Amino acid sequence: MSAVVDVLLTRYNYVAVVVLVAAGLYLVIGDRNLVKKVIGMNLFQTGIFLFFITTAVVEGGHPPVIEEGVETYVSPLPHVLILTAIVVGVSLTAVALTLVVRIYSEYGTLRADLIAEMETDD
Amino acid sequence: MTDAIVLAVVFPILAAVASLLAGLRWDRSGWYVAALAAVVELGLAVSILLSVLQGGRTAYELGGFVPPAGIELVADGLSAPVLVLVATVSLAVLAYARRAGPRGNAFYTVYLLLVAGLAGVILTGDIFNMYVFLEITGLAAYALVASGDDVRSAVAALKYLLLGTIGASLFLLGAGYAYVATGTLNMVDLAARFAEVGYTSRPVLASFGLIVTGLLVKVALFPVHSWQPDAYATAPDSVSAYISALVSTVSAYVVAGSVLAVTQSELKRMLAYSSVSQFGMIVAAFALLSPTAAVGGVVHLLGHAVIKGGLFAAAGVVARQTGARTVEEYAGLASRRPVSAGLVAVLALALVGVPPAVGFVGKWYIVLGAIESGAPVVAAVILASTLLTLAYVARVIERMYFADVPAVEAGGERAAVAADGGESTAADTGVGEESPVSPAMIAVVVLAAFAAVALGFAGTAIQSLLEPTLQGVFGT
Amino acid sequence: MSEIASLRPLAAVLVSAVAIPLIVASHRRPNLREGWTMLAALAKVAIVASMVPGVLAGDVYVTDMGTFVAGVGFVLRADALGMLFGALASALWVITSLYSVGYMRGLDEHGQTRYFASFAASLATAIGVAFAANLVTLFIFYELLTVATYPLVAHDETAEARAAGRKYLAYTFGGGVAVLTGTVLVFWLTGTTAFTPGGIVALAEADPAIARLAFALLAAGFGVKAALMPLHSWLPDAMVAPTPVSGLLHAVAVVKSGVFGIARVALDVFGPETMRELGVGLPLAAVAAFTLLTASVIALRKDNLKRRLAYSTVSQLSYIVLGLGVLSGNAIVGGLLHIPAHAFMKLTLFFCAGAVHVETHTDDISNMAGIGRRMPLTMVAFAVASAGMAGIPLLAGFVSKWYILIGSVQSGQAVFAVALLVSGMLNIAYFWPVVYQAFFESPGDHDEKPLVESVLGGRFGPGGSEAVAADGSGDVRPDGGSGGADPLGHTDHAHHGGPPPGGWEERGWRGGESTWFMLGPILASASGAVALGVAPAVFVFLRIVRTVAENVGVIG
Repeated sequence: MSAVVDVLLTRYNYVAVVVLVAAGLYLVIGDRNLVKKVIGMNLFQTGIFLFFITTAVVEGGHPPVIEEGVETYVSPLPHVLILTAIVVGVSLTAVALTLVVRIYSEYGTLRADLIAEMETDD
Repeated sequence: MTDAIVLAVVFPILAAVASLLAGLRWDRSGWYVAALAAVVELGLAVSILLSVLQGGRTAYELGGFVPPAGIELVADGLSAPVLVLVATVSLAVLAYARRAGPRGNAFYTVYLLLVAGLAGVILTGDIFNMYVFLEITGLAAYALVASGDDVRSAVAALKYLLLGTIGASLFLLGAGYAYVATGTLNMVDLAARFAEVGYTSRPVLASFGLIVTGLLVKVALFPVHSWQPDAYATAPDSVSAYISALVSTVSAYVVAGSVLAVTQSELKRMLAYSSVSQFGMIVAAFALLSPTAAVGGVVHLLGHAVIKGGLFAAAGVVARQTGARTVEEYAGLASRRPVSAGLVAVLALALVGVPPAVGFVGKWYIVLGAIESGAPVVAAVILASTLLTLAYVARVIERMYFADVPAVEAGGERAAVAADGGESTAADTGVGEESPVSPAMIAVVVLAAFAAVALGFAGTAIQSLLEPTLQGVFGT
Repeated sequence: MSEIASLRPLAAVLVSAVAIPLIVASHRRPNLREGWTMLAALAKVAIVASMVPGVLAGDVYVTDMGTFVAGVGFVLRADALGMLFGALASALWVITSLYSVGYMRGLDEHGQTRYFASFAASLATAIGVAFAANLVTLFIFYELLTVATYPLVAHDETAEARAAGRKYLAYTFGGGVAVLTGTVLVFWLTGTTAFTPGGIVALAEADPAIARLAFALLAAGFGVKAALMPLHSWLPDAMVAPTPVSGLLHAVAVVKSGVFGIARVALDVFGPETMRELGVGLPLAAVAAFTLLTASVIALRKDNLKRRLAYSTVSQLSYIVLGLGVLSGNAIVGGLLHIPAHAFMKLTLFFCAGAVHVETHTDDISNMAGIGRRMPLTMVAFAVASAGMAGIPLLAGFVSKWYILIGSVQSGQAVFAVALLVSGMLNIAYFWPVVYQAFFESPGDHDEKPLVESVLGGRFGPGGSEAVAADGSGDVRPDGGSGGADPLGHTDHAHHGGPPPGGWEERGWRGGESTWFMLGPILASASGAVALGVAPAVFVFLRIVRTVAENVGVIG
């Protein structure tokens, strides 16, 4: 029990990563609503971004912006990379939502199972 | 010629913007811009290949930052020929799309973005950068899949997008682990550091597993293949041809690269056993860690891209000529469209691996490599897959040549066929209103069929090209 | 033995390949189209024949087209063994082409352009098989031969023909995979696949277990096309194809390419010496002996003439394989000599069956009583060829069997000699009734054929009811091959085979029975069979075979 608590207290960002990734994956696979699937995809990515940022931590480090009187900075590289990754994620979401809008205007529903039904009926 | 390397990535992006801007002014400019860009791209690719042939591995440091901190683009014996292949197929698909494809300027803009993404994936020497290029490729591919008129293509594109993103994200996670384990993201550096850290350390294994799984989702390997048939089936013909030939190919190239970089692990062999598909074969070839098999993998990679691309293009031609899309509808095609049917037959047989087409050469090297490195099961699986391939290919050929023409179309043509041994009276390249097939489309398919056979004789050339790269990797 | 760099082997392959587009292009003008076929056939014979004297003198003509895969060249090489098959195939192509014209036009077949184009392609690849200088090149042409012949097998476009085509592809590509595996193994063991008379030296020192495996794979792979039991069943099914195709399959190219492959493997890859050390000759000979006896027995019970011939082929091919498996000089000579001998005889038999089909639409033996009156020349040729099959002296079959007999006795394997003799008798048993009833019986008055018409092992009752039922309506037999309900638009014919009411009319002996397009080839190949038997030493094939055996080192 104490081990679990220990992990929760000291490694909480890893716990958050796992929760985010798992929840995101579940939404993508398990949910029938297309918009929720897209949200799940975002959660999944966010979890991974968080993981990346976590790797940058340096004990007692400051944000990687040069300031007077600061000696230790956290590693700047993951931040830069994830900034790029976030941009990629945003564009993915945009494309996904565009597709969802198109699908909705055609089928009048966002439920994947109903859409699949309609497709087989065609 | 190091500038050519960065231009190969940047140029298509600029051209994509140019195409978009030109589209504001002129209605039909997209194709011309794209064609021009594709020609230039091919020129760049060829010049890179030539310089690799002369000087070996060539690298370009972006912004002058030296790796491992900086990001570099690399052309070597493996990436240069693949780049040439990509550029060639891009040009061929454009020729095909002239008549067949979606005509809007937006299509060509996205198309050029896809080319840029592919070039980036091929040339990058940095694992995070690869993620970005993979996603650019992915974004463009999703948009292209969705550009079909049918709304179903939007559904397929969304499916493709969700799975593709998951795959790419897993890849990113793997890259993160690699960074944790080694503190670098440069591929050459990674390979060296992995060796220092040890291949059995958990972060390394996790990283490897995630990267491979992520890419496999993109390659559409069983059991994560579910998006691919949907996407291919609903996308416009030009797009199917392109995506099938290149996107998957590039991903497999990546699997190859990562397996080459991170040598030695039983997991990979397991992967090889689990799949009998063409990509499984390529993955297997690289997983064998034998130089011979690796040559086979590359040959098969190139060959498969040409053959599959050609087959999709041929299917498009047939669909436009006759409306036939299912195997059933191909019945009697040979008597109606002898040239198209013949091309499909040649490509299909090349896919099975009938010598001397390229399918056979790749298989020969892979099987030889498998036996050399003491993995007869892999050899057996690959040989057995020949028969499985034959099973579905033979069905198509049989229907085309030896089944009756369906009643709907039978009409006049049937009588003409029965009259005397002549096979057909239908004009095959007819460019009438009802059969909008341009000579360029036929030419693309002919070219693919020709290349499928001709590449069979280029096996040794490819091998000598790969020698330096493989020597570096295998240390032989 | 000197090697001469020459383009002639390549030219021999290409000449019929070049003819394909010409044939296709002239599909609207049948006469021109057949002209191309004949031109290519004659050119091919001329090219091949021009190399014969050199080969007999010990020269080898080589066309080297560079490296195909690492360590293996794409090389054509006209040596003695290749010349045996090459000369045979190209010579018989001329005859078969002529006959095809008569047959296809006689039946007004569909898809003739595809037919002649595929035929030319088959011949190009068959010559490629003959002149291939290593296992990989051989494999390339071997697979292409499968592809080229598939349209011929499935020519009829009926469900039955498609099924036969599927079976053909499945069997031969399956065999191809085995050949490929064996080739890879050989390459891995020795680093080469080039044919060397007497065997690749390195193979003798290689791991015997793997060498045996390689041999088994190669023999089994080629054995599919050579119709070794139990891999034979595609061959009888392929009888749905037009008769000239059967001739091509059985005599000219396809099954011979399988046998030829085994010969190459036995003589030029492993070599008799290594085979003896590995102990693989005996199993091969045993399989062959089993096949030749079993197939003869099965042939006894086939009523459809073409099917009976098919099983006869299965059995005769095993003579060749047996000769190779016995591993003694004379047996090898006999086996190789049986390649041309069987080709001439079987071609004659198929041509006769085809002529009967074209003229009278009769396919079943039970309907052929008295047919000698209608088609005297054809049936005489048939009689001659079947006598040759049985090994009657002065005919081609005798000479080759004689050598095999001597060889097997010399090498102390007399059991195979016995098998040969028994099979000879079975040959007579299944051919004689055909000949006998053709000349000495009439439709209204002929004996029962218990073996065909009764259940196997059943009671020989007084004229079983089946016999009556079979009379005159033979086309309803389930195993009727291409007979019976012919889907090709022959429904306008008044009858479906068998004698017309009132018995066979009498046609003279001067060719009134059929066209000379068909009679000519029949007589030509029949006289070939006779010539091979009467004066084997004069005929070029025995000399080629002896050259092969000398090169391999099994005879002095």
